[in-house]
Amino acid sequence: MMSNDSSKQNTFLIDLTKCTGCRGCMVACKQWNQLEAEDTHFFGGEGYQNPAAMSEHTFTLIKFRDSEKNGKHSFSFYKEMCMHCDDPACVSVCPVHAFHKTPEGPVIYDSKRCIGCRFCMVGCPFNIPTYEWSKGLPLVKKCDGCYSRIKEGLKPACVTACPTAMEYGPRDEMIQLAEERLKKYPDRYVNQIYGKDEAGGTSVLYLSSEPYEELGFQMVTDRRLPSYTWPALRLVPSIFVTVGAGLSALAWFNHRKDRIAEEKLDAVATENPAKSEEDKS
Amino acid sequence: MSATQTILKEVKSYHWFVQFMIVLVLVGAAAAIYRFAFGLGATTNLSDTYPWGLWVAFDVVTAVPLAAGSFTLGAIVYCFNIKKLEPLIRPAIVTGFLGYSLVCVGLLVDLGQPHKGWHVLFFWNLHSPMFEVAMCVFAYTTVLFLEFLEPVGEKFGWKFSLKALRKIHMPLVIAAAAISTLHQSSLGTFFLIAVEKLHALWYNPLLPLLFWMSAISCGMCIIILEATACHKWMGQPNEGVLLRTLAKILPWTIGAYIIVRVLSLIFLTDNVLFDDPTTTKLFAAEMGGFLVAFFMFCTNAVRNNDSLRALAATILVFALILYRFNVSIFGMMDWNNIYYPSTIETLVTVGILAAHVLFFVLIARYFPIFVHGHEEEKTVTENSTEPAFSHN
Repeated sequence: MMSNDSSKQNTFLIDLTKCTGCRGCMVACKQWNQLEAEDTHFFGGEGYQNPAAMSEHTFTLIKFRDSEKNGKHSFSFYKEMCMHCDDPACVSVCPVHAFHKTPEGPVIYDSKRCIGCRFCMVGCPFNIPTYEWSKGLPLVKKCDGCYSRIKEGLKPACVTACPTAMEYGPRDEMIQLAEERLKKYPDRYVNQIYGKDEAGGTSVLYLSSEPYEELGFQMVTDRRLPSYTWPALRLVPSIFVTVGAGLSALAWFNHRKDRIAEEKLDAVATENPAKSEEDKS
Repeated sequence: MSATQTILKEVKSYHWFVQFMIVLVLVGAAAAIYRFAFGLGATTNLSDTYPWGLWVAFDVVTAVPLAAGSFTLGAIVYCFNIKKLEPLIRPAIVTGFLGYSLVCVGLLVDLGQPHKGWHVLFFWNLHSPMFEVAMCVFAYTTVLFLEFLEPVGEKFGWKFSLKALRKIHMPLVIAAAAISTLHQSSLGTFFLIAVEKLHALWYNPLLPLLFWMSAISCGMCIIILEATACHKWMGQPNEGVLLRTLAKILPWTIGAYIIVRVLSLIFLTDNVLFDDPTTTKLFAAEMGGFLVAFFMFCTNAVRNNDSLRALAATILVFALILYRFNVSIFGMMDWNNIYYPSTIETLVTVGILAAHVLFFVLIARYFPIFVHGHEEEKTVTENSTEPAFSHN
């Protein structure tokens, strides 16, 4: 399936088999975006990452999963971040166009426009946008793919910091690279490039040794998300016209009797001009 | 006597129930101020997992169909030309106008940046169901305001404005129905984007149609409840005969909704329907409510009996509320990490509901919303010093 026509857009290729879990990407992200440190706690449940989830202060998170493989204990890491979809749900559901898919690849957010309705958070199939819950007048926060760095010809902060696992370049080259690795080391990888088709294609691609579902990846449709709402929304003008015209015609038809009765009254009035003059006075 | 004293004296003359509503509204307003002072995180149970809670589920997604009576009745009376139902129109317009104004209030409390709400009117995104609903709610609140001006104009004797209003009356009725069709259905479109999030019992491509169809029945049931309540507690004449006519239309609209709902479940659902006992129970309660109301309205004895008719209407309204909550909260719930509204969220929503009842009673007290069509009662109402909702 040809998943998108944006083959030259900047794309992340994250090879989870090469991730050492050093979290250099998280530190670089915090530094570049000047994000506050978080007060973290030990928590129960799946994963030992720190903090437990992404938030208004954490745009990327290394998640930790341990599992059993061939009777041996094994563990793997998963870097969570905005997927920068080709046709993003957040861009389509935002009532004020606060989100924008740039030709360079990143999906960016204009805080000046945002009204804070949080539809982007409901719409995002990857649950990426976070909210400034600590504030009285909160805004949305998410990874912007280091758009300002890319504009200057630099790579995103996390890619620059990563010693092993991340590649960054045009999407077609990244897909080619990923496919080569899959072909060369079929035993090492699950035979799937996550992000190639998910949500209609994204600008973040993953390779993994574990099934993606077990790592905690969202199982997402291959259809572009806006294609679910647009079939209904594109009918809006025609429904408006149809209901308006239909009801008008119905009203006209149903009021016909009243009008005929009125016309009869008028006819009587013209036959008796004297009476109608009386009415006028 | 100063203005404050006059108002205080007036308030003291109100029925205890009305005074209680005033207290609830004030508490709700205080809770809303508290939310802005301390932030959404500290005052609500909303989170990155549950970005939408009670305020969106009730104050917007449920309140809009609850206020659907006005456009439904307008179309029935003026387009289908069932003139005898006209006396029900004005109270329905007041309910609609109040309902939509309070939807706007609820939205402003829920928005992170309410001072930028007007952005919706300037930065159009035709692909956003939220844009669609916001524009429609804005347009429709304006239409309802114009329709509401009629009793206001009568009260203050504005002859010119009344003349102008009567001229644009039919266009307003038709605009109301067309705009309402759009936003009632677009509320369903909201959840079409939640592809893998909303449970298969509620996710299907006909969600917009189902929201619109259920809103029509709900609007009529609200009118039945409202007229019954006005008769029982506000000394208004019994509109039983008119409500019986309305109750005769209801089996058709509810029946059509149930058929489309069941067919869409059978033919348009991809995922497993009954995989979880909690969602199955919620679905059964919702569907059961619609079915019970349908069979009740099919029965002559129910339609002709004031209390039974009101009971059937109540059941349908609760079924609709559950339907909207199922779609906007329960159908997307992770049952290991349950969302429930905080005290502040609850107080604000209760305050908004109380404001609706309070303003309706006050408008009925000071404006001629019941006189239309009851010429013989008109003189009685006008001369009566007994206020609506008085001590007896």
